[in-house]
Amino acid sequence: PASLDRASEVWSPLLPPPAWCREPGAHSSEGLSGGGPLGAPGLRTRLLVTGLFGTGLAAAWLWARAKKEQRQQRRRMEALRSAAVGQGDFHLVDHTGRPRCKADFAGQWVLLYFGFTHCPDICPEELEKLAGVVRRLDAEPGQPAVQPLFVTVDPERDDVAAMGRYVREFHPRLLGLTGTAEQVSEAGRAYRVYYSAGPRDEDQDYIVDHSIIIYLLNPDGLFTDYYSRSKTEEQITASVRRHMARFRSAFS
Amino acid sequence: MTAPSMKERQVCWGARDDYWKCLDENTDDASKCKKFRSIFESSCPQQWIKYFDKRRDYLKFKEKFEAGQFEPSERTATS
Repeated sequence: PASLDRASEVWSPLLPPPAWCREPGAHSSEGLSGGGPLGAPGLRTRLLVTGLFGTGLAAAWLWARAKKEQRQQRRRMEALRSAAVGQGDFHLVDHTGRPRCKADFAGQWVLLYFGFTHCPDICPEELEKLAGVVRRLDAEPGQPAVQPLFVTVDPERDDVAAMGRYVREFHPRLLGLTGTAEQVSEAGRAYRVYYSAGPRDEDQDYIVDHSIIIYLLNPDGLFTDYYSRSKTEEQITASVRRHMARFRSAFS
Repeated sequence: MTAPSMKERQVCWGARDDYWKCLDENTDDASKCKKFRSIFESSCPQQWIKYFDKRRDYLKFKEKFEAGQFEPSERTATS
């Protein structure tokens, strides 16, 4: 019948209004916005409800995730705090004869190297590199002063006096650390440092084989990064700067 | 014995470098570099001389190895 002919676009109060003037959610018998004749919700309603429900779900999920991340972060900070106290501790004597342990350096960034004063080339080169890094970091205004530490793996020969003679030739702030064989062994274990004295010659001289690593400790005293022999002064400096920029204390 | 000071280390390294330069220029013929060898031996602790000699051997080996002069033998390559 002519009344049902939509294509004619004839408006008549007897006909249902054209699709574009229908109110949202209004019942309709056909088209995209149509629904069943018994009044089931239109597609737009369904989409709206689904959208709201979905948004609600997403919000709940994001909130739960945020809570989980907060819990994890809290647990991580607790673990860091307890690790900072016990991890990597040492009890040594510096090159002025003063006893030192890791807590003495709390609040400072530390660059730590294990070596020995009778070292032919590697230790002097690494310590020169270390001193260079310290000088570059010192040159930057507003940055905290880094504390360089040199721990001997040859406590038999490297006493306080020997350490003093050695470190002062590299950098005025370089602190030499020595102690008894047990104390040095404890420090070595704390940093997983391998060292082994080689065979002695007629002069009772020997070379100590040891792992060659510069360790970075953060102001909480936590091991943060390490640098092998292949890392240049520039690379180490850049890395330390990055760590400094990102640092947030577990104790603040 | 006290450890060498920075100056003494540098003297030793200089002597070592001179000796090694001589060897490089004479295709590792040690007989041509006796003078440098004796300066080297008097500038460095004995342990260091042994250490640097071993280091030279290692560096030379590494050069040859990287130049591909060491090929696996037929037997091992197919095992």
